[in-house]
Parts: sequence; C-alpha cells; structure tokens
Amino acid sequence: MDRTLKSLSLVLSYPTRALQRAMPEIGAVLASDSRLTAVARRALRPLVDDLTGGDIYALEERYVMLFDRSRTLSLNLFEHVHGESRDRGGAMVSLLETYRAGGFDPVTSELPDHLPVLLEFLSMRPGAEAQETLADAAHIFEAMEARLDRRESAYAAIFAALLQLSGATADRAAVAELLDRPEVDPDDLEALDEVWEESEVRFGPDPNAGCPVTRDMLARMDVPLNPAPQTPAAR
Amino acid sequence: MSHLLDRLNFLQSKDLEPFSNGHGQTTRESREWEETYRNRWRHDKVVRSTHGVNCTGSCSWKIYVKSGIVTWETQQTDYPRTRPDLPNHEPRGCARGASYSWYLYSANRVKNPLVRGRLMKVWRQMRETMTPIEAWTKLQNDPILRASYVETRGKGGFVRATWDEATEIVAAANAYTAKTYGPDRIFGFSPIPAMSMISYAAGSRYLSLMGGVCMSFYDWYCDLPPASPMTWGEQTDVPESADWYNAGYLLIWGSNVPQTRTPDAHFYTEARYRGTKSAVICPDYSEAAKFGDVWLNVKQGTDAALAMAFGHVILREFHLDRQAEYFEDYCRKYSDFPMLVKIEEKDGRMIPGRFLRADDLDGKLGQDNNPAWKTVAVDGVSGDLVAPNGSIGYRWGEDGAWNLEEKAAGADTDLRMSLILDEDHDDVLGVDFPYFGADATPAFATGDRRPNVLTKNVPVKRIETAEGTVAVATVFDLFCANYGLDRGLGGDWVAKDFDQDVPGTPAWAEKITGVSADKIVHVAREFAQTAEKTNGKSMIIIGAAMNHWYHMDMNYRGVINMLVMCGCVGQSGGGWAHYVGQEKLRPQTGWLPLAFALDWGRPPRHMNSTSAWYAHTDQWRYETLTAGEILSPTAPEGDWDISLIDYNIRAERMGWLPSAPQLRTNPLEVAKAAKAAGKEIAPYVAEQLTSGALEMSCEDPDAPENWPRNLFVWRSNLLGSSGKGHEYFLKHLLGTDHGVLGHDLGEEGRQLPKEAAWHDEGPRGKLDLLVTIDFRMSTTAVYSDIVLPTASWYEKNDLNTSDMHPFIHPLQAAVDPAYESKSDWEIFKAIAYKVQQVAPEILGRETDVVALPILHDTPGEIAQDQVRDWKKGECDLIPGKTAPNFIAVERDYTAIGDRFCALGPLMDKLGNGGKGISWKTGEEVQHLRELNGVWQDGPAEGCAKIVTDIDASEVVLMLAPETNGEVAVKAWEALSKATGRDHTHLARTKEDEKIRFRDIAAQPRKIISSPTWSGLESEKVCYNAGYTNVHELIPWRTLTGRQQLYQDHLWMLAFGEGFVSYRPPVDLKTVTEAVQDDGDTLVLNFITPHQKWGIHSTYTDNLLMLTLNRGGPVIWISENDARSAGIVDNDWVELYNVNGALTARAVVSQRMKDGTTFMYHAQEKIVNTPGSEKTGHRGGIHNSVTRAVPKPTHMIGGYAQQSYGFNYYGTVGANRDEFVVVRKMKTVDWLDREKSWVAPEQEAAK
Repeated sequence: MDRTLKSLSLVLSYPTRALQRAMPEIGAVLASDSRLTAVARRALRPLVDDLTGGDIYALEERYVMLFDRSRTLSLNLFEHVHGESRDRGGAMVSLLETYRAGGFDPVTSELPDHLPVLLEFLSMRPGAEAQETLADAAHIFEAMEARLDRRESAYAAIFAALLQLSGATADRAAVAELLDRPEVDPDDLEALDEVWEESEVRFGPDPNAGCPVTRDMLARMDVPLNPAPQTPAAR
Repeated sequence: MSHLLDRLNFLQSKDLEPFSNGHGQTTRESREWEETYRNRWRHDKVVRSTHGVNCTGSCSWKIYVKSGIVTWETQQTDYPRTRPDLPNHEPRGCARGASYSWYLYSANRVKNPLVRGRLMKVWRQMRETMTPIEAWTKLQNDPILRASYVETRGKGGFVRATWDEATEIVAAANAYTAKTYGPDRIFGFSPIPAMSMISYAAGSRYLSLMGGVCMSFYDWYCDLPPASPMTWGEQTDVPESADWYNAGYLLIWGSNVPQTRTPDAHFYTEARYRGTKSAVICPDYSEAAKFGDVWLNVKQGTDAALAMAFGHVILREFHLDRQAEYFEDYCRKYSDFPMLVKIEEKDGRMIPGRFLRADDLDGKLGQDNNPAWKTVAVDGVSGDLVAPNGSIGYRWGEDGAWNLEEKAAGADTDLRMSLILDEDHDDVLGVDFPYFGADATPAFATGDRRPNVLTKNVPVKRIETAEGTVAVATVFDLFCANYGLDRGLGGDWVAKDFDQDVPGTPAWAEKITGVSADKIVHVAREFAQTAEKTNGKSMIIIGAAMNHWYHMDMNYRGVINMLVMCGCVGQSGGGWAHYVGQEKLRPQTGWLPLAFALDWGRPPRHMNSTSAWYAHTDQWRYETLTAGEILSPTAPEGDWDISLIDYNIRAERMGWLPSAPQLRTNPLEVAKAAKAAGKEIAPYVAEQLTSGALEMSCEDPDAPENWPRNLFVWRSNLLGSSGKGHEYFLKHLLGTDHGVLGHDLGEEGRQLPKEAAWHDEGPRGKLDLLVTIDFRMSTTAVYSDIVLPTASWYEKNDLNTSDMHPFIHPLQAAVDPAYESKSDWEIFKAIAYKVQQVAPEILGRETDVVALPILHDTPGEIAQDQVRDWKKGECDLIPGKTAPNFIAVERDYTAIGDRFCALGPLMDKLGNGGKGISWKTGEEVQHLRELNGVWQDGPAEGCAKIVTDIDASEVVLMLAPETNGEVAVKAWEALSKATGRDHTHLARTKEDEKIRFRDIAAQPRKIISSPTWSGLESEKVCYNAGYTNVHELIPWRTLTGRQQLYQDHLWMLAFGEGFVSYRPPVDLKTVTEAVQDDGDTLVLNFITPHQKWGIHSTYTDNLLMLTLNRGGPVIWISENDARSAGIVDNDWVELYNVNGALTARAVVSQRMKDGTTFMYHAQEKIVNTPGSEKTGHRGGIHNSVTRAVPKPTHMIGGYAQQSYGFNYYGTVGANRDEFVVVRKMKTVDWLDREKSWVAPEQEAAK
C-alpha cells in the first residue's frame, strides 16, 4: 500500500477524534516520503499540527464550510470536470467500473469521484497507474491549491503534494479555466454568489469561437453600456 | 475524436452490398465512433419516478440508472390513452424537470445530518454525564447557552452529526417541550401532500402521535380561494386539463398557462385547433396573451370591476331582456337565485339580511329537523312558500331529502327566481348596497365621488313571520340590483344602457380597469352565447394573479357568478378552472388515517398557518390596516372597532378557527387536573375557561408559555419561498439578524389591540429548535439548527397525483439515497423510535386535551345560527357548539415508534370516511394485515405493519375509494343514503379493481370515481368539478345546498360582502415618509407571479435554469417607470418598504404595465444576491417586502360551508396590495469580504 496516498486520503476526510489520534503516525508518513520535496513536506506541517491538536468542533466547522458548502472546493472531482452536465453520471459509472476492475467495491456513502475514495483506491494500485491517474487530475489539484491558498487554508499543501506525486505539470490552460470560475466564500449566506454571477445571459454566438471578424465585433458589442459593478474585493 | 484515421477520404469500397431493395447497405469501415453514443446512453435499468415539487404537472418520468448511478431522465410516454377524439396527455414534462438529476450529485446537496456547531459541542459535553432529556433541559434553562446558537441562525457554523445524535437531540427537544409546555408547542410545516403523500404523511403521522401541530399550507400560500368554500362548500375542485379541449370558449384570466402549466398547455393549443375561441385577461403581455383571440390588459387588482361588467352584460342580454332557457333552468335548479332573503331595517334604511328560514315561519313549514337551516323559496306551482330539498338542514339528522330534486316536502316544485311581475310582488323597496369604488388609494383612484351606499329598487313580497311582517326578495332580484341593472322599477344607480357610467356597467368598468367598454361587451356576449348554444361549455382558467389580492373573494365571486349565470359549472368543457397549487390529493380518504394517525387517536391537531404565523412571527404587532377601513357602511350594529388579530382571537374562542398552542396551561396537566377534580374533560375545561382559571393561548401570543418551541420544516422552503413577512420571521420567531425597517404599534403610538395582550418589548427567538429536512441547502436550511439530509425524488418510494390529470403514479427509488440521506419516512420513523427511547424519563401514557374547532362536513357545522361570544356573556360556553370542543386523546410516549409502524385499532373500531360520509373499513384493514404482515407482539400486537414507504403506500391505496373499487362502492352507498338516490352505478363497474403500488409502478393508473370529488372518471366525460352535483343531483355542501352567490353570515354582511362588488386594493401604508429616502420617487405595486425557470424556489439554484434566466434575482419594470428612475436594463436595483428590502437586477420590458413591478417568486437569497444599502444585510427574498394581513370574513366558522376545515377555510396570506420604493443601487456590495475563521470559544471570549 502506498501509505502516503492513504494518508492524504485520511487527511482530506472529515476530521474525527480517531483521525486526531492517528495524526502523529500520518504526519510521520508524510514527513518521510522522498517523492515530496522538502518544501512540500514542510508545507504540510501546519495542517498536520492543526489536525493533531485543534479543537475538533472548530476543525469540523471549517471542513463543512470548505468542502461541504463551497462548490469550487468540492472534493467530488467531477464537480470540476463536468459540473451539472449530464456527462457526470456516465463519468461516475466509468470510475466505478475502474474500481471494480481493480478488485474493489466501494462500500461508502460517498460518490465514486470523492477524492479521498479515489486516493484510497490509488494507494492500493501500482505506482505507475496511480501516478497516471493523478496526472489526469493535475489541473484540478493546482486550481484547488490556488483557491485554498487564497483563503490561507492549510489544506492547500495537500494539493501541492498531490501535484508533486502526479509528477505532471498541469495544463496551464485547464488550470486557468478552472481558476477563472468565480470563487466561493465558505461563509454560508455571504458565500455562494460569485459562482453564479457569470451565468448572466449574453445573447449571440460565443465570442471566443468562430470567425475572428465576428468575434472582434461581438467583443466590442460585449462591452456593456452600463458596466456591471465590480466586486469590491477584486480577486 | 475526429476518427479521421478510420474514415476513407478518397476511396469507396467496391463490395457494397445493398439489401432491402436498396434501402440498406453493408459497409466495412470501423464503427467504433458509435461507442461514444452507446456509452453516453447506456443504462442498466429505467425506473419510473416524478418530481415531488409543488407543481400541478405531476409528470411521470423515466429515470435511467447505470451501476447505481442516475445518468439522465426523459419523459414517460405510456399514459393510458384517452378516448377517441380527445388528444392524449403525453408527453408531460418540462425543462425544469429535465434538469432535476443535477440535484442528486450537486454540490448543493446536503450530504450528512448537520447541527449548528455551538449546539453540537455543548450537547456532546453534556451528554457525557447527562441523559438526553437532562441535557436539553439544562440547555434551555441557560439563557447564554440558548442564545449562543439561536442568535447565530443563518450565519453558518454547521458540523456533521451522526443520525443517532441528530435524532436524539430532536427527540429530547420534543419530549421536553411536550412535558414542559405541552405537545401543541411542537409545530410542523410541510405543504401539498399530493406531490409526495407518504413523505408528507411521515412527518404529520409523527406529529399527530406526539400531539404536535400540523400546519396548513394551501391557505397560507394564498392558493386557497375562499370564494370556493363560500360558493360550493368545497375547498377547490376543478376540471382536468384535458377538459379544456372540450370547451367552446376559454377565458384565461390571470393565469399564464404556457409558462406555468407547461405539460398541460398543449390542450390549450389543441383546443384552438378545434376551433375554441379564447380571450386572455392579464395586465402584462404574458406568454398566454399571445394565445388569445383578444387580450384584455386590465389594470392589476381591478378584475372584480371587469367581472361585474361582464355579469352586467350577461344579465341584461341573457336573463332580463331575453331569458335564455338553458340559463334559467340551470339557475333555478342549481343556484340560490330563487331563495328568499329578508330585507332588514336599520335606522329607517333597508338592507339585505339573512336568508329566510323555515324556522322564521309559523309552523316552520312542517320541518321539525333543523328548521333554522332550511332556506325558503316561492313555489310557482302552488304559489306557496316552500323549503326546497337540498339545503343543509336536510343533510344532518335525516335521510333522503338532501338532494337537488325539484321537490319540497315530497311535492314537485317550480321555484320562482324573480318577483318582478306585478302579481308576484307586494311592493318595490329602495334597498341599500355598499359601494367601495370611491375608496381607492391614489394608485387606483379614478376620481369616483359616488356615495358609499347606493340605494336601488327591488321588488319584494311581504310575508308573516314569527317576528311579524317582513319584506323578502329573491337572491336573483337583489343580485340584478347589485349589478346595477334597470328593470323598469325606477330609482337611482341602475342603467338601461351599457354606455351609462353607473356602477356595474361596461362604461363604469372601463374607467377602473382601462379595458374599453366595447371589448367588455364583446367578450361577455361571446362567452354567454357559446354557453347558451353548448349547454355550458364556456370555461374560465384562473390563476394566482387573481387570488393573491386582499379582496380576492371579489375577483373570484365575480368570475364564479358569470359561470353560474351561464350554467357552466358541472358541465363538461365548462366551469371554473382554478389551478394554483397541486391541491388534489386524489386518494384523500385513504391517506388521512395514515397521515394524521387517525388509526391511533382522534382528532389530530390542525392549525391554519396564516393566523399562526401572523401571531407567532409578531406581524400583528405592526398591523396598520384597521377594521374600519374595510368595514361596510351598511354594517349592522356591533363592536367592529377592533384589530385584525382581535377578530382572529374571537374566532378561535367561538370555535371558528383552530388554535395552536391551544391553552396557556399544558394540556397534559389540564387532563390531570380534570381527573383530580373527578370531571369529564369538556365540562371541566368549559368551567375553567369561563371562570378565567384557564386561558386560551391566542389571547397572549407573546407570553413565553404560548410560543411555538420546536418547528419541523420538511418538503418546504418556508423561509426562502412562502414566508410572507420574511423579515418578521427572522426577527421574532428565529431571533437573528433581520431587515425590518418599520416600528411596531406601541412605538408608533397607534391603537393597540383590545383582545390580544400587548408586551412593550416584542420577543426575539421564540423557537428553541428549528429542524429542516431537505436534500438541498435551501434558505430555510441555512437558518436551521439541525438540517437532516433527505432522499431526493429519485431515491424514495411515494405517491403523486394532481388536479390536472386523473392518474395516480409513483415516485420510486431508482437508486439508494446518496451520501447519508434517508427518505422522509425513514427519518421520522427514526425520530419516533428515538422518542420512544428517551421520553419515558419524563413522559408515559398521558391524556392530552385537544381543542377542536367546529368542522365543515360534520353534523356540528350547523352550530351557530347567530354570532354569540361566550366571553362577552352573550351565551354559555358549550364545547363544540359555542366554543371549540375539548376532547381527551390518549397518547403513549413509550410507544411512539411502535405506533408509527403499525395501523392502529381505530380503523376497525370507528371506520373511515370523509366529506361528511363514513363507512366501515374492517375488511380493508384485514387485507392490509395479509398484505403487509402483522406485528406478533409489543404495543401494536395484531396490527398490520407499516414499516416501509411501500407499506405506507399500500395503506393509502387500500383504504381509498379512488384506488379500491370495493371501497368506492361503499362510499357511494353511504352517500346514497343521505341523498335518497342511488349513486352506486358510478363505481359498480370498477368494484373489483384494486390499484397496488406495483401497478402504478408499471403504468400510471386512472383513479376510480368517488364521492370525495364532484367529478367523474369515465369513458364519456373528462373530470370536471360539480359534474355529480348537476348530473346526480347531489347538493353542494352549502347552507342552501346550491351554488351560493349570496352570503348572509353576520360578518359577511358587516364587511359588505353579501354580494360581490368591486373593492379596490387596500392601503397597507408600507411606503412611509420615514422609510422613503429623499430622491427615491418611483413607487410601484409589487406583484409576485409564478416563474418560468423554477417551481417556486426549486430549480432556482440550478445553473441550467439560472442560465436561461439572468442568473439571479430579477424584477420586471416598464420602460416608462425605468426611465423615470434612471434605470436601464440589467441595472442592480433595490426595492424597499417598512417590511424590509431586497436587491435584484432590473429587466426593463415593454411587456409591463406602468405602475407595477413583477418579481417572480421565489428566487433564493443564497444565489447571487448582494447586500442591501437600506438594511446593511444581504438583500432579502421577494417576501422581504411583504407582510401577511388577514381578513375577518375568512375567520367565520360554525356556519355551514363557512366552517373550518384544514386547508379548506381560514385566513389566507394575500400579498399583492403591497407597494415598494424602487431605486437604482449606487454600489453593489457582495458582503463577501473574508472573515478570518474564529473558533466559537475564541469568539465568545472576545
């Protein structure tokens, strides 16, 4: 078993007292994996310390706010890939079949694309295969890292570590596209807005596609006479 | 993938073999590309389900599942065929439903039970040393601990909990509340059972076993048209949409069929192909408007004036100048037109009063049974006064004469509709009618300076009564006078000509409504001509736009009058088609025992929500509408100068409306005290109330012992959708941040209520615990203390019906509930068993005292011939007669779970029934034992099991006449006894048909005709309301037994609504000088129609639907109004008044009429809503600028059809008379600056 992947799976799960008790061991695993650079290993310390010694309710509220309530931080990978597209169901089915082909049946109430589930699965697979799968998700990891970083969340380090383990360089364009999606604040009502802000309808063809002449023309038309007000905390 | 490599670009294979005469061809190249599509559409099963949302669509869907995951959904196309020459129903479904599977795996899904972190932490600490009951008790008795979670409602801070923990907190809270304050302090709100009956029943069954309160919804949503119970004694009964196809003329009035009735709209299109003519009446150029042959753009809120003018034309041309034979015959038999009304004298003026009753006459016309409830008419055959069959006096205490045969006392009759002929009347009297048209607020004023009483001449007969000689007139003659028709009797305020500007004429209506008189005359004529030629095939489809006004009854009665005058009600292709809310729970009588635990104890506690929320969210503390403003100038003497809440208190006291909580003292303690005193419950409570030792809770809603303490919200988004007075909910019920901008009556120095106790300081945070059960993080969930994740509509088994089609079909668990979610049935079952575990510490077998108002469709409904208040010493307190009844109900808190899962013994013992008839049901109960299995031991030994949601469905299907032919026959037999006519032929052919859950899983099934409903399902006619009244001569369940167009209750007369009239919208005074900022000049009437991109709030948080709209809350305004306030399309605007503020983008459109703004309800405030500059908080929802304002006439009870029934009669949450200030926002602040995260205890330390 790849104990590093397994550790990351655990650290990304909902905090429990059992997890807190196991944190010294998990911390040791993460601190000793030579696939991670010294910087990456050091970056994981604050999270490990938090989880080891933090107030369990504080840790849980933080987790719910980050990962349960914020769309852009969802640990369900296909949220970032397929969103509300109908392809999502089919993709989950494929992933489920991958688990089964690998000799495992999911016995969790989480969906197959839940990152801790995937990491646990990969921890039981040959290194090359695990790396390849992680590489496929590299752009998501990088975007998640950036978002968590902006929140100054210690969880960012996990995604940096995953990126290193994947051995891949994320596709810049894909990352940029993900990061372009507006950010969500984890704080309940004062939160879910910007995700939706972009969905304002603009009629006409997609200005980013098709004939360049039309595109330029549409882009000029697209500058609103009455610009939408800027978000004060421009990010 | 391009598949470029697989394709031949330059060559074509030579050996192409054609087959099938050249239609087919064999090719050799790779077809791998097809796999993309195969994979896309692969599935290993298809399951039938539907969307349990409050939508009348009720469409069956195919859910495609692969490896336990829902991959997509499509419309079902296997509805049973209709008969020849009628289009089929399918396909049903719309864009909203097609986007539903998104919710299943959405990031918005509630995945685990969530508890407010501060509550969870304290709870776990306490639970280390205490029992659950001790822990909750300590928590509630510590004001700081309680405030720590109460004040953070709506501000985040959830942690996950296990099911065991979450249900334990709920159970402990409920048990503590029952013990400390009484079980009637546990409230539950869930709407529209028809959309998922078992899920509704799960919660209401639990609450009913506990003694908790099930809150109504149809009235609170203002979807209930009180005019329907007034006229027909029926909550709402309407034609199915297929019957539109049979119509000859379709009037679409305030309904937007293509937008809000999407799956049914095809029948409207098809009817037009068939040649049906259609007129559309709505202020805006709606989607329906373009279907109309003519569009009447009436000014909003003035529809009653238009209806009066239509009626004026119809009366003139089809009843007076010429008598259309069909209309005359119909009205004589099926309306109260021939009934006599006493003309009562007040200060020398003559006013229409009560219906003449047999009791008024010497000898009582030989009627010994209920003579005070038998109305009287003149018989044309004998010339005598007779008490015709069918009035409500015949319904109770005797059998065989409660029918609409043209008979009285066994003899044939031919009732006189009018006394206009010289030989028929003794005199012509000037009779007073109230006129409200001159009272309009500036926004509706037309410069009308007419007096508020109009005296018109009416032919009367003088008769001898027990109290001397009185003048009487027929309803028809008074009715014509009320509509302002000159009948050659002289006098003022009547017109010969449509062009005369006299109240009631088209010329008069033109000034008020803006619709030209010639169009009014044109439409009225076509409507009536069609009805005359087709025997009633003119139909009016009517929607919420008409019903959400304070004076909705005037709009509706105006419309109903047209239909009755033209003989349309009860005729195929005709009648009143009010589609607002999926109100038709077709297997209702089978469902009631399951839903309200009638198998274990009767009666359940029901509450009308409008009155409850009005009191408990303290909206009454801000009431500026006085009774004087709505009282009739012709009101009889009386103590009318009281506040609206005072009227409600009197209504509760007299047994008219229900109460919750009921008594200031815990009812469990009341029962003990009665026992200690050695007295029966009812007389004991009567004595204690009279002496003042016991008090009713309604008299002091702000006293802590009268607060609702626990509230369940399930299948509902109360705070994000239907909660009129949203900000008052937040301020008083929840006790958290709010946006109320106005001040209460005390602060404003206005007149205080006389009956309701006033506390200078309004309480904040009445609820100890708010539990929401939902699959998505709705606005209500965000404000809750505990959020329980429920199964979505593809993850549970349930039943679904609608008024729009006659089929019953299921929701089914296509997949297991995702994450940790469970079906509502399993959730409430778990809570029930948890109570059974934790409650015995403080509760055992207890006697509860339940206060029951006087109910419609029971013998008690003829309780109060006169209005008498026991508290004022006008009569004795007689439970069930002059006051609510007080009934002992045994509860066993040690067996709540066991009882939840078993069909209790009362079904065998007491039978089943509904709407005034009952039958034995032991045989069905035995069948259920055989079908579901039997409990072998425990508290439910020998009872049929109801363990799963499918078991529960079988209970409903087995007990209901609509799904069990044998029961249908029994039900018709029971009705036949009362009417003296054999109706069983309506179900005989279906006697052997028994619909089971697996049957409807296979295909939607048409229901069986039953007396619960007034229409038939057959191979000859579509379902249409009133059909059996007209064709089987079953009386309407009203005082007169007929469609009752005159209302004679004292309060109806006091408020000037004996007859219909135009009443302008009321002045709610919410745009005050204090609240309106300088420079904000645009004030608009605020209208909240149903939207296109969501069903209420559901789907409004779904990106697919948001993308089709504008991605967040919007309001619509006209180009002129926008220009006047410097607003251009897509600007952010703020709307505010004293009730609160909301923010949205402006859609500037030619569609809109000047003076109004539309905000589609209910757009979630969790989506794309910036902060309000006015309140400093996040902009509110559409209900942030509204406040519920009840109407006294809706509180009437104990009076035949005007008696209480759950969701049948009662106050309604009107909201369209509201005005708001609209202004462009200067800065848009998303209130989303990062707050660094602080642990609760650190924050507390600050």
